[in-house]
Amino acid sequence: MTAGPVVTPVAELEARGIVKRYGPLVANDRVDLVVARGEVHAVMGENGAGKSTLMSILYGLQQPDAGEILMRGRRVEYRSALDAIAEGMGMVHQAFKLFNSLTVWENVVYGMEPSRHGLIDRRAAIERVGEIAARYRLAVDPTVVVGSLSVGVRQRVEILKALYRDAQILILDEPTAVLTPQERDGLFDVIRHLAADGRTILFVTHKLHEVMTITDRVTVLRDGRVVERMVTAETSPREIIRAMTGRAVNLKVEKAPASPGAPVLVADDLTVLSDDGRPLVDRASLTVRGGEIVGIAGVAGNGQTELIEALAGLRQPFRGRVSIAGQDVTAAGVDAHRVAGLAYIPEDRAVTGTARAASAADNLAMGFHRHPPLARGGLLDGRALAAEARAMIARFGIKIGSEKLAVGTLSGGNLQKVVVARELTHRAPLLIAEQPTRGVDVGAIEFIHSELVAERDRGAAVLLVSAELSEILALADRILVMYEGRILAEVDAATATEEALGLLMAGRVQEAA
Amino acid sequence: MSDVARPMRRLLRIPPVPLAILVGVVLGGLLVLVSGGNPVEAYAAIVTGSLAWDSLPNTLNWAVPLVGMTLVAAIPLRGGMINLGGDGQMVIGGLVAALVPLYLPGPGPLLIVVAILAAMVASGLYATIAAWGETRHGIPMLISSLLLSYPAIGICSYVVGFPLRDTTTGLAQTPMIPEAARLPVLSGPLNAGLLVMLVVAVLVVLYDRFTVGGYELRMRGLNARFAGYGGVPLARQMTGVMFASGAIAGLVGALIVLGSQFRFQDGALLSPGYTWSGLMAALLAGGEPLGAILAGAFFAALQTGGFAMQRETSIPRVLTMVLQSIIILFLAIRHGVGRRRETR
Repeated sequence: MTAGPVVTPVAELEARGIVKRYGPLVANDRVDLVVARGEVHAVMGENGAGKSTLMSILYGLQQPDAGEILMRGRRVEYRSALDAIAEGMGMVHQAFKLFNSLTVWENVVYGMEPSRHGLIDRRAAIERVGEIAARYRLAVDPTVVVGSLSVGVRQRVEILKALYRDAQILILDEPTAVLTPQERDGLFDVIRHLAADGRTILFVTHKLHEVMTITDRVTVLRDGRVVERMVTAETSPREIIRAMTGRAVNLKVEKAPASPGAPVLVADDLTVLSDDGRPLVDRASLTVRGGEIVGIAGVAGNGQTELIEALAGLRQPFRGRVSIAGQDVTAAGVDAHRVAGLAYIPEDRAVTGTARAASAADNLAMGFHRHPPLARGGLLDGRALAAEARAMIARFGIKIGSEKLAVGTLSGGNLQKVVVARELTHRAPLLIAEQPTRGVDVGAIEFIHSELVAERDRGAAVLLVSAELSEILALADRILVMYEGRILAEVDAATATEEALGLLMAGRVQEAA
Repeated sequence: MSDVARPMRRLLRIPPVPLAILVGVVLGGLLVLVSGGNPVEAYAAIVTGSLAWDSLPNTLNWAVPLVGMTLVAAIPLRGGMINLGGDGQMVIGGLVAALVPLYLPGPGPLLIVVAILAAMVASGLYATIAAWGETRHGIPMLISSLLLSYPAIGICSYVVGFPLRDTTTGLAQTPMIPEAARLPVLSGPLNAGLLVMLVVAVLVVLYDRFTVGGYELRMRGLNARFAGYGGVPLARQMTGVMFASGAIAGLVGALIVLGSQFRFQDGALLSPGYTWSGLMAALLAGGEPLGAILAGAFFAALQTGGFAMQRETSIPRVLTMVLQSIIILFLAIRHGVGRRRETR
């Protein structure tokens, strides 16, 4: 083997054919990933595309059902994160794993303390941590108590922790989600230094401009599969969006022009803050009239979820007002919203939209269970519940043996039909539909789409949130684009192009105009 | 799966609760055997000592507070919440129920009603402090409900130890309450408390099955996020549930004081450990009220039988507590095994 230089450089990290199943759900479906030494590699995809599963497999937190991982060409098998760390993996989780009452150096050396005579060598620890911090310009004082630090600095402590364990490959799981723009720029500086030093960064995100700014290559996941591998310099935000959200099926929905009536949902100057006071929704105003579908386009994570939660009464806005059918419901709870006329298909059918262990009848009653015909005077009418459930099961073609059976075993599409059936049956004046077709099969998609249009045609106001541009373009009459918490633009769906929307979704207003 | 595992799997197909009881009985029997006793004799003593005609009233008298405390645990558990403060809530109810007939004038029957209602309201309000702590300040109710128990016990102990002590005895207890304000006797050792608890138990089961509130509590227990999304006001619900749970604990205290002890005596309500047996019974049924009531009655029979067994054989009644624990432990293990299979 001395015949000359090696022609093909060995990848720093390689995953081959990774498969991970959770029951019927395939979270990772034959995923291949190749990452070179010293590169910043973005792993992109919608929520539920399988990014987190892949990362936890690479970090040894979970074991794949099939496939293998190679580190510098050598096959490795992780029984736990400790094995992965020993191989040079490091990970900074979205939720930090720090002891807030301990100092920075104590957090960093925890589990690997330098010792002298069986005691922790405090001075050596502080020195070592300070050295690493200085080398990568992670401005942190090792002796400060973590609880007193800002979020951005705590994140540096997490990075320090990984570097102290000599991580060669660092997984950053949506690292900017909690940062201010200034902190984010600081993080990018650190990432550049790490890469220049030969460390490899796996950058998990769904924020486009960050990918364009900091990464060298991009791997895009959709529905558990790798759909695209790109070199950042040779691609565009629009192409990445298409890869993340595109669908092979061409969706066409037959619908007549809208004839909008009176405003049903009015939100005015709505601001929603995160727990640490950053604006997640930033002074958003919108109106949805009866008889129209308003679509909210945007890359996931730009405030859509929080906006909808505020509109539905699940989250208290910091500022602004919400009214449904003329009733001010800003400070009211969910039930008041429902009474005022809200029906709501939530983003996550399994976590929010249903109770798995409850029967179909119980699931189909929720939200309408307090009022006739399902209840009278505080008493639930079991017979009405069963009859309504049977009617919905028949009308929406939900594949379940009986309304008495639990919904936990239903497939994703059928479970989504349970949610859709419940929210559409009561003919509420306002329907908020959040990712109504995510992860359901083509037949169910067409069915749900035509139901949404039928809602509009009978005069309901429909607010549709979707990360899939094709869905927004097919259904909406007007399109609002959200970017970093703000409603950046309103576009008439008749004249909208995927191109212009893609640029708006990436925050580039001038170019889109 | 190996051949060894096959009979295990067949065993696991038996419904969990009967299986757990079976395992408890077998292991308990082995324990008796190892310690030189006769398991058949022991179990016979337990059965006749709890279910035979002349021992049945004892079982029923033991079941009234135990089933009551089972409901105290089961009602929050149905909604995925845990009230560990039953001891403190029961003691408050007991003290209030003793003080009303001692210090208020009025005809006996009226005093009984007022004493019971006052006990329920006092204990219910005390229990809502823990709910308020969680909904307003994020203090986990699991912890705060337990911790709040100790000051309640301490204060009640102080009240009957010093300011309101019966000075004719040397003990920390109130004077005897007047005979007119005691619960009427049904027959023999049975008093009207049995009927009151029966009515309450039936009401809880009916509420769970047929009302909007029962539905909302059940749904919360299955998926709290789903309930919140559907419009269930989670904070208000938690407060209401804790009030109901605490009120029943107060009722238990009141029924014991007005029905059998006729005074509030420091420590007397707590020594039988009704709260913890009740919690175990509620866990056994996963919070489902009817199952919990049956489990509570089962534990009451077991414990009453234990006393009889201790009297008639040389086997200490601790055996019944061991049985109880094995049953719960086994159910917990099974639950874990079932869960792990699901995720695979």
